[in-house]
This record gives sequence, C-alpha cells and structure tokens, in this order.
Amino acid sequence: MIISWHLLKNFIKLDVTPEEAAERLSLSGAEVEYISRPEAKIKGVTVARVDSLKKHHAKEHLLVAELNTCKGEVVCVTAAKNLKPGDMVFYGAPGSTLADGKELSARSFDGVESAGMMLSAAEMGLPDVDIVEGILTLPKDALVGSDATTLYGFGDTLLDVSITPNRGDLLSVLGMARELHGLFPDSELLPMPWEAETTEETIEQPIEFGSISPLRNGARPRLAAEWPIEFGSISLPDPGCINYNLGLATDVTIAPSPVDVRVALSHLGMRPISNIVDATNYVMLTLGQPLHAFDLNTLPAPEVTVRAAFDGEKILTLDGKERVLTPADMLITSGGVGIGLAGVMGGSQTGIADDTKIVLLEGANFSARRVGHTSRRLGLTSEASFRYARGVDPTLAETGVDYALYLMRVWSGAKVGYRKKSAVNAAPEPKPVSLTKKKLDTILLWSDMDESAKILEGFGLKRVSQSVSQDGPVMSFTPPTWRPDITIEEDLIEEIGRFRGYNDAPDILPGVLPRRADIGAETVLAGALRGVAIARGYVEAITYSFLPERFTDALHLPHDDIRANPLTLANPISQDWMAMRTTLIPGLLAGLKESLSSGWREPVRIFEVGRIFLRDPHAKNGHREEDAMAGLVFGGIDPRTPWKETRDDFLSVKGDVEAFLASRGQAADFVSGTQPFGHTGQTADIVVSFGEEKKKLGFLARLSPAIEREMDFTEPVYVFEIFLAPLETPKKPVYSPASQFPAAFRDISMLAPLSRTNDEVIADIRAAVNKSSGAKSLLESVRLFDVYSGKGIPEGLRSLAFAVTYRAKEKTLQDEDVDGIHNAARDTLTQKGYSMR
Amino acid sequence: MNDKINKIDKIDKIDTAGLKKQVEDVRASFRSSLSSVQNTDGLQELRVKIIGKKGVLTSLLKSLGALPASERPLAGEMLNKLRDEMEEELGNKKAALVDAEIRAAEETDRVDVTMPSRARAGGAFHPVAQTMHEIVAIMQGLGYSVALGPEKEEEHYNFDCLNIPSWHPARDMQDTFYFSDGTLLRTHTSPVQIRSMLKYGAPLRVVCPGKVYRRDNDTTHSPMFNQLEGLLLEQDVSFSVLKGSLRELMNGFFGRELKSRFRASYFPFTEPSMELDIECVECGGKNPNCRICKGTGWLEVCGMGMVHPFVVRAGGVDPDKYNGFAFGMGLDRMAMLKYGISDLRYLFNGNVSYFLSGRNA
Repeated sequence: MIISWHLLKNFIKLDVTPEEAAERLSLSGAEVEYISRPEAKIKGVTVARVDSLKKHHAKEHLLVAELNTCKGEVVCVTAAKNLKPGDMVFYGAPGSTLADGKELSARSFDGVESAGMMLSAAEMGLPDVDIVEGILTLPKDALVGSDATTLYGFGDTLLDVSITPNRGDLLSVLGMARELHGLFPDSELLPMPWEAETTEETIEQPIEFGSISPLRNGARPRLAAEWPIEFGSISLPDPGCINYNLGLATDVTIAPSPVDVRVALSHLGMRPISNIVDATNYVMLTLGQPLHAFDLNTLPAPEVTVRAAFDGEKILTLDGKERVLTPADMLITSGGVGIGLAGVMGGSQTGIADDTKIVLLEGANFSARRVGHTSRRLGLTSEASFRYARGVDPTLAETGVDYALYLMRVWSGAKVGYRKKSAVNAAPEPKPVSLTKKKLDTILLWSDMDESAKILEGFGLKRVSQSVSQDGPVMSFTPPTWRPDITIEEDLIEEIGRFRGYNDAPDILPGVLPRRADIGAETVLAGALRGVAIARGYVEAITYSFLPERFTDALHLPHDDIRANPLTLANPISQDWMAMRTTLIPGLLAGLKESLSSGWREPVRIFEVGRIFLRDPHAKNGHREEDAMAGLVFGGIDPRTPWKETRDDFLSVKGDVEAFLASRGQAADFVSGTQPFGHTGQTADIVVSFGEEKKKLGFLARLSPAIEREMDFTEPVYVFEIFLAPLETPKKPVYSPASQFPAAFRDISMLAPLSRTNDEVIADIRAAVNKSSGAKSLLESVRLFDVYSGKGIPEGLRSLAFAVTYRAKEKTLQDEDVDGIHNAARDTLTQKGYSMR
Repeated sequence: MNDKINKIDKIDKIDTAGLKKQVEDVRASFRSSLSSVQNTDGLQELRVKIIGKKGVLTSLLKSLGALPASERPLAGEMLNKLRDEMEEELGNKKAALVDAEIRAAEETDRVDVTMPSRARAGGAFHPVAQTMHEIVAIMQGLGYSVALGPEKEEEHYNFDCLNIPSWHPARDMQDTFYFSDGTLLRTHTSPVQIRSMLKYGAPLRVVCPGKVYRRDNDTTHSPMFNQLEGLLLEQDVSFSVLKGSLRELMNGFFGRELKSRFRASYFPFTEPSMELDIECVECGGKNPNCRICKGTGWLEVCGMGMVHPFVVRAGGVDPDKYNGFAFGMGLDRMAMLKYGISDLRYLFNGNVSYFLSGRNA
C-alpha cells in the first residue's frame, strides 16, 4: 500500500518528516518498506506559457515555440503536435534536470537555438499522466515561473507500507491519517466532508473549488433529489451485503481527469483512465471505500438485487474471464442477470464506456468473510476484494458515493448528481471491550489506566464506562466503526503496547518448571547419528520432500512396491515437485548429480535424516510418516589415490552402517537381499534383533549397473536407508571385565565353496566346535583373517582362514584341553565337505 | 680390531710386575679396539675376546693361582678393577650403539608427513540442521522441551485452531500445498503447538522445529523451508518473559550480545503480536550498502506474540487460567545469517562441494 504524503496532508496536520512518521509506523505495526521520491531529481523545471508556435524554417516536423517564462521570453523547439498558443507547460531551462537525472542544455536545430525544452509527463517521471502524446499541458491558472515540484503533487513523498491483514482501515489515506493521529497525539485531524452540514438542494450552479480537496472547506456536494428516470428497488436478500447505495450522475462527458488527480493515481500505482473511473478509484484510495460505476443504459432492468449465487451460475467478469459460482458467493444482479461479483469485480457488460451518458454509482459494504471466501476460492484479488476481505468501515459506503459524485461533477465528468437510493441489512454495531488494570499489568508490566485511555482515545476508541471489579479497575471502550479488529481485551492491550513500544519492557527469564526439558528421542537420535556420519566423512544434506512423479521409474520400482505409489500434491508448483518422497534415495542421487555437475571430482559421501511418506491403509488419513536415514557413497569422477585400500566399496559402507547401529548399541545381520534398484550380487537387507524379534531395518546396496549407466555415474554408487523409529531407544551396553584366565588360539584354514557366505561358514565352524566340546563350550570367537581365491585355488572355491579363540571360565586352558576339541571340529568340517588346509 | 685383541695373548710369566704390565697392555688394547667398534655385533665380539670363557681377562684371572698367595689379593684387585672398568665401557658403548642403530632405523622409516592422509576426508554438517540442534540446546537450557508433529497436516490444526478460518486474508500470506483428500503440507510448525497443548496441557514449554511448506518459489522463497517455533503457556505470563527468552536465544545462537528491537505486528494466533529485529550480524548497522540488511542495520528474524485466547482454547487449555506466548523463526534464515550463506538455493540441492567448501574456512 502506497501512501502519498501530499494527499495525507489534506487529512492531517502533522509536524513531522515522512522519515519520522515512517519510523513510528514501522515500530507500531505498519511497516514502511521504503520511502521514495520519484521526482527527487527534477531541478529547475518551471511553469511557462506558450505565446506563439511557428513552423521550423527547415525541418517540417518541428515547431518553434516562444515561451513566456519567469526569465522572460525564450525559444524552444519541439516535435510535439498537441500544443496551441496559450497552453501552460512545464519548461526545463538549460541546466535543469529531468526525473531520470538527465541534465538539459541548449541545443541548435538547424540554426534555431532551443533553450532547453518543454516537457512531457514521461520526462517528469510519470508517463501515465500524459493524456496524448506530446507535451503535458497544465491548467490555465498555473502561474508562470512556479517550481514544478511544488505543483499538482509532483515532488511527492511516497511511503510503501506493508499493511497487516487485520488493518483494512489502513488501506486508505484517511485510515493512515487516523493512525498517525493516534501515534502523534500533537497532530490534528482535519475535518471530513461528511462532518459538515448537509443540504439536499438541486445543484444550480457549479461550486468553485481550487483543488480537488473539498475536505478543508468542509463542503458537501448538493445533489438533486428525484431521479429523472424510472428506477425500481434495491433488494438485499443476502445478509452478506451489509448496505448498498446507488448514486446517479447524468449528462456525463467522459474525459481525462485533472492533472493533479492523474499524478496522484500514478503515484499510488493506478493508471488514470477517465474522470468517471478515476473518481471511483480516487475515493477508494483516499477513503478506503471501493466503488463501482455502471453504465445505466447497459443494465438489464431498472433494479438491483444482491443475492447468493446459484450453484454453477456463471458471470463474465471485467477481466474477460468466466467465473463459475457457488451459493457462498454473492452476486449483484439486475433483472435476474449477474452484473457484478459482489465486492470482487464488476461484470464485463455493464462497465463505463467512452459513450456512457448516465452513470449508476454503487457504494456498498459486503461481509469481509464472504468476499474473502470468494476471492480466495477464485484466486481473484482486486483492489476492492483486497479491502473488503480486510474489513471496510460500513459507514463509509454512503459517504463514498457522495464524494465520488461530487468529484465527477468537479472534474467535468457529470453535470448533475442525484441523491442516493439506499438499502441496509443490519450492520454489526461495535461492542464495548473491557480493559482491566490487572491484565494490562500482567502482560505489559505497566498499568497506567488514564494514560491507556488517552492512547485508546487517540486511536478513535470511546471510553464508555469505568468501574472497579474484584480484579481492580476496569474501563470499557467502544472501538470506532473502522476498527472491527478490536473485539477482546488483548486487542486493547495491543493498541496500548504498540503505542508505547515494546523495547523498554524489561527482559525476564522464564522460571523453573517442575520437570526437566526433554529434547525427545527423535531429535536426540538424529543428533547422534549425524555426529557419527559426519565423523565418518559424510556430508549432511537436506533435500526436498517432494520429488518428480517419475522418480519411481528412475529407481525401477515395480508397481507393487510400497514406494512406487507416493502421495501426490493436488496443486504442485511444478511436475518436478509433485510426489511426496517414499524414500530418501532420490534426493541423495539428485545431490550427487548436482555435486558432479558443479565440477566436484572427488569421492561423494552424503547422508540425510528426514521424513518419508508412505501410504498405509491402516493409518489415519491413509498414510504414515516415518523418520529415515539414508546415505550415498560414490567413488568420485577421478577415483585415483595412492592408497588403493581406502577406496570405498560395499564392505566399507557396511562398516558405516554398522557404526551407526553401534552408536545405538545395536549390531546388524547383513542378509543377501534384493532391491529393484540394487546390484544383484551387492544388495543386503539390514536385520537387527530387538529381543526375540528380528526387524528388517533397511537395506544397503550398490545401485544396479543399469541404473548407474542410465544416470551417467562412471563409478559404483552405494546407497543405504534405514528406518529410525526402532533405534530411538538405545540398547544399553552390558559390561564385563576381561577374563583372568588366558585364552588359547587356533587357526582354521579351509577351502569353502564360493556360494557359502562368510556368516554361514562361521556358523558351521561354531557348530562343529560346539559339537566336539559339548555343553560347556570353550569357544569364544571365530574371526576371519584371510580370504583368497584365484591362482592355486580350484574354481568355485575360496580359501578362508579363521582365528578361533578358546577360553574357559574357570581355568587356564592347556594344549591338551584344546587340541582334541579343535581337531575333532576340523574332522566335522571335513565331513561337511570343507577341505581343510 | 682383531689384530689388537689377538696381541693380548696367553700370559707367560706370572709375577706381580709382569701382571701390572699385562693389565696395562690389555687395557690399552681394549680401549683401542673399543674405539673402532662400529656396531653391536662387533661389540659382542670384543666382549667375548676379553671376558668370554676363553677371553684374555678370564685367562689372567685363571693365572692368579700361579702367584704366591701373598700377592694374590693385590693382583686380584687389579684384575677385578680392570674387569669393572671394561664392563662399564662396554656397557656405555653398547647403549650408544643401540641408540644410534634405532635412530638409523627411524631414519629409514621416515614418512613424508605432507603426503595425503589415508583416512577418508571429514564430512560436514548442514548449516540448517546445525542451527536447529544449536537452538534446541539453548532452549533446553531455558526449560523448553522439543515437540514434533506430522508434516502432512489437517486444515483443522494448521489453520482453524490457529484462528485462521478459510476466508481469512491471513491465508493469503501462506499459500498452501493441498492433497486431494483435503489435507495439506503444514505451512508452519504452529499445528505442533496445538497438538502439544492438547497432549500435555499447561503449564507447557516447547519448541517445535521442522520442515514447513508454502507454495512459493523465487530467489528468496523456497517451497520447503525449516522453522522453529516456541510456546510457553503458564500463569500470568508477561511479554517480558518472551523478550528474555528471545534475548537468550539470539545471543546464545550468534555468540554475542546483539542489539535488538521489537516492532508491533500481526499474526492471527497471537495478540498482541510483534516482530523481532536484531542488529545486522554482517555490518552492525555501519554499512549503508550492506547486502544483508540493505543498509537498515536491522534484520527481521522472528515473529511472535502473546498467544490468542482463541488458540489457547483450541488447545484445550482455559485462557482465563493460563496465558503465554509463542514465537517462530526461519531456521534457514538463521543459518544463512550465522554462516554467511547468500543464496537459498544452496541449502536443499545436496551439493557436497558447497558444504565442504566451508569445512576448512
């Protein structure tokens, strides 16, 4: 919302600079985003009169003008075609500067010296103010020699203010003036036109006003009473229309508005259109009352009704779009035909045209809730709906119509205005709100009730009662009609608080609670895992929760995979951000891609802890959110290193997963498994035991070479993902001292089939040893220390060597205790088909 | 060396005077040999020659028996002294040689300490996750527990309970992602406050970190971002306690005393509402062209206010009995300010090069 300092001065006498006002507004709730002076660079431009115009002796398209300026007669050459002798113009002498900072100089046109130039509105910084191509012409009463930046609003200071949704009243110059008056108690609000005495006589002759502002004069337009046309009724069957007023203006001549109005509208971000349309916009911008002008002759019938739309009813709005309505929307109809979407936008058939002769002017008040609903539902925000949805003072509608009719007449738009026709539904009356000293003191730690009353009265509230209750002093205030946001005690406290400012309040720390603060298992777990991961060389990532819908194809997920059926957004920003992730892997793959395309050539290790979204018919809303951790390891575009053994592979990443689990006191079995995107021979399920129960926590896999190729990864990519919920409660370690009896060590070296996994061979060794040592097993551990296949080993076999540790609980083992058992175990293993070495 | 040792031969003539001479000869030749010994092997050889079973000194000692009994004590003393002397010198020499040999071996094992390490390079934290954990830790110190909630949320908790009915213009501030069943991606972590109130009642002190989503995507808005909100609901709570909590949060997070100011603002779920500006962490308000604060000297970091009675009631708590405050901030913004990250786009694309670039800075 842009506020014109120039217009503001018509409403309030305020002795502060725009900067001071902006600072106060910003700290008290209406943040001033910036202050601008669009014509600040204009220097030395003054009013001049065109005394004569002659054709240039050589150049046919040029005219030579003699100007009457403050410095006497000067000659100016122009290409503009719109001038005639007697026109008043802005003249920039040599040495003066234009809005864009360009400095003018004398210039010769084929022997004719042009002393500077006459200016267009564009050169004054406001192209929309130009009516025709050429030089901006000024009213005849402009005084030769006056500085341009003091005239017609040029040189204005504009405040771009961010208005919060509760303060619809601030969306106007009037509202801002009231706010500033509340904030600067020394200021003085100037009288409003409707506060003056009203008369209802026919206009006999135009009332002369030097400026567009009648406000200081306290005058009110006098309007003809009886309409010269047959007009039926205004009916308001929908209570969402709080009041509805129609004004009538006849003998309309569509023309441009005066220059100061065009300047004001341009400054406030609206394009000047015509004296009729500009009058409605001007009233909206100054008073905050949206108005709509109909061409009476286009109305289907001489009556207006505001009713709920029928389900499926359609209207073509001014912007040329067809809108399909529901009964929650309010439609303005005439003869049963929709002519406007109430509070949002007029219909396309009934607007003002260049040949409009009779204007029917609507000033109404609609329920904020209803307009807000329609505007949101249709995604259609207009200047009107923006204001209605934030609340418009219901008492403004009549005033707005009167003021606009008056402006139309002053701006030569219409000769005669007529008294309004009005209809009213019950308007909500502002209810008194109580302020207790106790609550004021609790929240602000300050409780001067008299001072508070002064502050509230400054903002337009009226003190209606004062008493003492069991909680101490109480005062009641009625908010003004333009402050529907004030309904509870806290609202009053906010007015007082924002007036006083919050910065001087003391800082107090919260007291001690009767219980400790609990970070919670999820956050503790996430913190622990990221610590381990970062220490092990992983980079932490946060990737988008939404993925392209085709991510399931990229991972070769079959239709029956739970991850292949993601939840999808009904209104995504783009197809790339549409499906809620069912796994963290695609985000990490995208991260790898991003890293590589940014030129990263070294190994990539990334991990993410985050939510995934899985469909679950048994869960509430048909889905569940799971915390998961995933990681990705890639050897690098250039994997060369002097230390070959440090290159990552399946087993090194397995070590990482083991470390994550170990940090929670857990160990996992890695069981050969499958994933749709996994390498056939390098995919494992991660299985963890919780008491008796074994849970599949996730997977570790190398990407299938097909996918690696499809994604242009030149080195293997390893990925893992685990569900975190089962790890939230860490398993406590069980400690025991080292045995006081030494262990005995024996090695077993054997040939085993390649198809036999390490875990299976170890299980066989354990079984064999336990078989030969009986119930009191001496076996402590079996550890692989060498593996070899290739030259010297028959095909299909590999050589494995294990260190076996024996220990007795109660004595030092002698060779004879161990040898028999060990040799018997070797025999058992031989019988099982292993060939011992 | 061997030559010198070998010159010390069997003793022919045993008398005290001869012995004295012999001792001198042995000592002289021992010292000469010892000085030319190069390594522990040579030293061992010398030792054998002198005090081995067939060593010179051993022979001399054996020959004592041939002396008259009266001369034996003196001769014995002379020889023992010689032996002790040589033992000591052998020992010293051995220590020196061992030391030299170890040092020589270390020289052979010299490592080029400038070679690249063989371990994996270290990883790196994500600034936003780091920020979340840091702030949670600070707030834990002030008694705030952590509460989490679903990211796919119901309109009821995300809007209705927070005093934002469907027609309310405040919904314009938060363009929402919806699912076809009418649920949505939460637009703030505030629904977790409602859920916490309903679950735990009052008194209550929680912070709610998490991902939130709004239908915005430009240079300053990401459709997904991270928030942390706080809620304190107790009896007779003053705005000043909110001020104190936030002072600790900001000063703790940025690690120094920061100037701050509170501006009045508006949120549907708080009344009164404010926003907190802190002094620009980049320029401290000294640079009129500062790219972070745009020359204002202030950074808007946190929205807040006293919880609206409507919201307290929606949380199942009696607003006549308990009141309190809530605040919310963008973790992404906090992280960007603390770690000097200028572009939002780096945060969520998983590019390791960006995060590792800050590792050794």
